[in-house]
Order: sequence, then C-alpha cells, then structure tokens
Amino acid sequence: MDKMVKIKYLERPKLSNTERIFFLDFIKGMKVTIKNFFRKTITTAYPYEKLTPPKRFRGTHAHRVRDGKEPPSFNVLLQFMEIKEGESRCVACYMCQQACPVPTLFNIEAEQLPNGKKRVKRFDMNLLNCLYCGLCVDACPVDCIIMTDSYESAAYTRKDCTIHLDDMSERGFDFDKRRYNEPDRIWIDDEAREKLWGQIKWS
Amino acid sequence: MEELILTSIAIGIKSVIFIIGMFLLAAYLTWIERKFAGHVQQRPGPLHVGWHGLLQPIADALKVLTKEDIVPSGVDKVLFYLASLLAFVPAIMILAVVPFGQPVNLFGFEIKPYITDLNVGLILALAFGSISIYGVIFAGWASNSKYPMIGGLRKAAVLIGYEVALGFAMVGPIMQAGTFSLKGIVEAQQGLWFIIPNILGFVVILFAILAETGRTPFDVQEAEAELVSGYNTEYSAMKFGLFPLAEWYIATFVLSAIAVILFFGGWNGPHIFGPISPFVWFFLKLAMMFMFFLWVHWTLPRYRVDQITELAWKVMLPLSLLNILVVAIWIMIFG
Repeated sequence: MDKMVKIKYLERPKLSNTERIFFLDFIKGMKVTIKNFFRKTITTAYPYEKLTPPKRFRGTHAHRVRDGKEPPSFNVLLQFMEIKEGESRCVACYMCQQACPVPTLFNIEAEQLPNGKKRVKRFDMNLLNCLYCGLCVDACPVDCIIMTDSYESAAYTRKDCTIHLDDMSERGFDFDKRRYNEPDRIWIDDEAREKLWGQIKWS
Repeated sequence: MEELILTSIAIGIKSVIFIIGMFLLAAYLTWIERKFAGHVQQRPGPLHVGWHGLLQPIADALKVLTKEDIVPSGVDKVLFYLASLLAFVPAIMILAVVPFGQPVNLFGFEIKPYITDLNVGLILALAFGSISIYGVIFAGWASNSKYPMIGGLRKAAVLIGYEVALGFAMVGPIMQAGTFSLKGIVEAQQGLWFIIPNILGFVVILFAILAETGRTPFDVQEAEAELVSGYNTEYSAMKFGLFPLAEWYIATFVLSAIAVILFFGGWNGPHIFGPISPFVWFFLKLAMMFMFFLWVHWTLPRYRVDQITELAWKVMLPLSLLNILVVAIWIMIFG
C-alpha cells in the first residue's frame, strides 16, 4: 500500500573499533573545549559595558516629531491637524492598531478642537503585550511610529511598562538626533563590537 | 603516658589544620571550577567580587550560610540530617591517610605532612570513599520525594559497578609496592612511576573517580535535565551546600591525590625547588589531575544509566583484571 507520508530511514552511524577502544570521540570533544579555553572571552561586562544595537534594532517604540523631514503624505494631512513644530507627528489614523497582532495594547484617542482641527490626546502602548514585531512601524503612513535602539524596558510596576505620547516623542527626538543620518542597516561600526566579533565583511 | 597525651595533642592540632585547610581549599576549588567552566564556554566566570572574582567563594559561603534552612514535613528527619553529614565527613576523613610529602625538619621539630601512616591506608581510603556515597543514597531515600529517590537509586547502581573496578584497579600498584601504606607506595616509586605497567589500571581509576564523585559523564544522580537536581532536590541552605562541596570538590580532590600517589609517584621529582620541592611536585601533579577532571566534566555529555553500568561491568572490570595480569607478568620479568 502506498503510504501518505514517506519516511526516510537512516542508519545510525556506527563506531569503529579503534574509536570504541580509545574513546576517540571523547578526545575530539576535549580538543574543542581546550581550544576554547585559551580563546579570548566574547562577553561584555554588561552593566558597565553596553553595546549599541544596530539601527534596525527593534527596541522600545518612539514617535518621530514634526521637524520638516516628513514624507509628503504628512503635509496633506497637516491641514486637518493641530500639530506644532517639535510635537509628535501622529495623526491618529489607527493604522498601527490595525496592523498590530495584539490590537488592544494600543490606546489611542483624538479630539476635535473648536477650530475644527484634529488633535491627538492620548497614545498609550502597553509594552507588556507587545511582541516587538514591527508591523506598526511598517503601517504608519506619516513615518511617525518607529522602534529605537533602547532595550532596557524593565520596570518595577506594570503601570510603568506602558509608554505614553510625551515620552515616546522625547525618545524619538533623541533617537533621530543620534542616528538619523546613519545608513539603514543591520550592523554597526561600534569599536566594542568590532573588538568582539571582528569586522563584518559581507555586503 | 605523657608521650601519649603529647602525641594526641599534636595529631589533634594537625587534624584541625588539615580540616580548615581543606575547607578553604574546597572553597577556592569552586572558584577554579567556575573559572574553568566559564573559559571553556568563552565567558570569564566570576569577575566582580574581588580581583577576577577571588572573593566569590566567601560571598557564596555567606549566602549559603544565611539562607533559610527548610526541612520538608514528609522527610525522615534523622536520615535527612545524617545524609548531608554522611556525604561530607567521610570524604574529608580520607585526608587522614593521604601523605602530602616527606617529613621535614623545621626549627628542630620533625614535622610530618600527614596525619597518620597506616599500613592499611589505601583500604581505609577506599572504605571512607564508599561510605561517603551512602550519604547520597540516604539523601535520596530520606527526602521522601520521587526525584531524589531516583537519583539515590541511580547512584547506588553506579556505586555497585565502580567500587569493584576501583578496588581491582588499585591492586596493580599495591602488588608492585608490596604495601597498602600510601607513604610506602610513594617510596616504592623512586625510580619508575607506576603508570608504566599500570596504564590500564589508571584508565579504570579515571573512570571510577568520575563515577564516584558524580562528575559529568556519570552525573546521573543529579541529572538536572531529568531529575530537577537529583538527590539534593529537597535540601536547602548549608545542608544543600555540603553535597557539592563534598562530592565535587573534596572527594575529587582527595581521590585525585590518591591517584597521583598510586600512579604518578606522589611527591617524587627532581629537587629543583629546594627544600619544598616534594610539596611543589605533589601539588603540581594534584592540580593537573584535578584540572583534568574539570576538563572532562565540562566537555562530555551524560551517559545513560544502563550505559554506565554496562561500561562498569563489561569494560572496566575486565580491564582492571587484565591490568593485574599485566602487572604480574611485569613483576615476574623485571622483579
């Protein structure tokens, strides 16, 4: 009868007699460990020595601010929005929430001002539910929400794990000030990193 | 009468020095092990407490001594307390017969760097080594919990297999030296070390020491991936600390010392370090031996229990018997 699932049968590799008598695989393994023993360690002394993650690292979220580097779509939306220079560019379109696998982690609220314009009142993200997939970043039409290189997101209370509009725009401003001009790539030219892993030749 | 009292006092002082020295040494052997394990895995090991983590053993000791000592309500109290001591005390008592060097004259006194020189020293060491393992088995039984129980039974199975092979492997050097006294065995190795005809015995002893001290290829009694922590799962605080201290450090150290005495000529060696050269040679050989066990421990994966017992009965026991034959032929030819 023809089987639905084909199984490939493999022979278990057999030890030869010399290997069995002289414990050659023991010796092989011990050669590896003694080689490692004399190698340099590859760790960093973490709280005193911190590596900078690459620019595309997906760390804590942030908002870019209105600084004149927006994509053209933002300028179209701007006539309906009340956003001053240096404030978060968020237009409360809920695209990030739509794209998110856990939409309830967003809490976005906007209000209409007396002059008819829209203003973002609240943008909370509960990072305890976030899985750092970055889909919100891809969904944002005005290049507002980004993920930064900050990875120390632990806090003493659950409340502190929620990030808000103010600290997100602050973090985004800080991130752009440091790394806006850096090419978008997955490695860094960090001396500490180079010391540890050597120069990366590819690409 | 007066001489008896003086001798007892002298031996008492010497024993206290040996025990305290062994405690401090065991503490720093943990440091050596952690450093070694770290560098094998390309990480530095303890680094922040003191220079390169040198004060780490003291910090660990403080931590383990100040932890809450929990005794589960279902345990057999007497055996539970007894087991931690039974693992520890016999392991340190082997030191009574291990000589660390020749007697030296210091300020007009003859100082012997060993506690006693029994004519059955090796048998006593073997006996204490076996009793020490009963601690592990009792711990498994007294804990009244399934993981320690399985760990204890596994240790019993390993013990039965390797005690026999260990005993037979020690016969070779005894035949050549013609004495059970460890000091006598060292003195018989002035010329050629006993490793030369006894190479098979040495291999058996290596495996047996790994099995007796529960180091890696044979660490089935704690097997953290399967048995939580094996026989010491229910223990806490210093009672927990005594087990690894006794098994992994003191027992390994002392059994390494015995292996060095049996096969590598003890403190024999060229007198290039002046009057302390016997000690230097002995501790150098001992350190190499101990480091070898660490090296094996941090390299190999764990054997299955059936493989361990199979290795003991089908390979190690015949090898140790073959070793006796080889040594007997050697003695007949070379005298």
